[in-house]
Amino acid sequence: MSIVTDPASGRDNARDIAVWDPLVRLIHWSLALTILLNGAITEEESKLHEWVGYAALGLVALRLVWAVIGPRHARFSAFPPNPARAIRHMRAVLHGDRTVHLSHNPLGAFMAYNLWLTVIALGVTGYMMTTIRFFGIDWVEEAHEFAFNWLMLSVALHVAGVAFDSWRSGVNLVRAMINGHKRIPDGTEVE
Amino acid sequence: MKRRTMTPITKERRATVLAGIIILQALCALFFIGDVIADLSGGGHLEDLHLGLEALAALALVGGVVFLMVELRRLLVRVNDMDAGLRVARGQMAEVMEGFFEDWNLTQAERDIATMILKGLDNEAIAKVRNTAPGTVRAQATSIYSKSDTHGRAQFVSLFMEELMSGDFSTGEVAKSHQPLEANAPGDKLHAK
Repeated sequence: MSIVTDPASGRDNARDIAVWDPLVRLIHWSLALTILLNGAITEEESKLHEWVGYAALGLVALRLVWAVIGPRHARFSAFPPNPARAIRHMRAVLHGDRTVHLSHNPLGAFMAYNLWLTVIALGVTGYMMTTIRFFGIDWVEEAHEFAFNWLMLSVALHVAGVAFDSWRSGVNLVRAMINGHKRIPDGTEVE
Repeated sequence: MKRRTMTPITKERRATVLAGIIILQALCALFFIGDVIADLSGGGHLEDLHLGLEALAALALVGGVVFLMVELRRLLVRVNDMDAGLRVARGQMAEVMEGFFEDWNLTQAERDIATMILKGLDNEAIAKVRNTAPGTVRAQATSIYSKSDTHGRAQFVSLFMEELMSGDFSTGEVAKSHQPLEANAPGDKLHAK
């Protein structure tokens, strides 16, 4: 009996869908590493701090290019910055919606854009501090400080959001960012 | 079978290596670009042989990165297609089986046995799985062959192979244009119902 139902049940059970390609994953964890290095380990105003910062800029630049020429789930079109969608998504979640999003969910999309823009702002203000023209100018340093604090807040929210969405949808999002696959539970709607 | 399941994994590993190379090369490109910009703002000229070469190297690296990214994209699409193809094939196999069984009016027991025959189990193994005597299974198998108008195991299995191989594997539905193995094979009826 079990042999007969085998082919059918294989399709109904939890499905593994490849969503994050290796480049997305490597960029994600490399960027996390550069943020950790520059936020906690490298000495401010050291050469290493500068180079790690440029590496972070390069990683974001690479990701943005990949969002144009990359595969489906990595593209901008898979997670457009759409406030209306984000609000709708938030309402649905409050009403117990358990839809799984293959790319970023509408709120997560905003977080991704926010993190990239913040890293760019950090990189640019950091670079400005090394130039003769902007060296020692207060507002540049303050902007760099502010961007860093904003980044820390964003990272905390990002981690909290991942934890919450993993709990809500039943898809382990951390695992998805490591091996690239989202395991969609039985009977869950996919978007 | 083994080869087929191995290939996507090997491709995935290649994709990961390729992604790593892309990141490393992109960072190298960034280093050279930064160096060129620093030299230029420090009063250098592109006409300088050294600086000119450096700028060229930087450009070549950027070009290489973009090329590798396009290459990676292709590889990923290929992996995806193979995966989807296998899934479609599995789904179609199940569909084809169900369709045939329906057409032949097989009983539930006969369906189970037919499935096991297709999986390559012999009568004794089937009897063991179903906790019945081999003689019973043999009788049921004979009934299956007669209902499907085949002369035995080999021809019975080949009906399904024929169905799967003759169509084109465009996504979703079972191929509609096919020539059944024999005129009395119920392949056409399968989709008419």
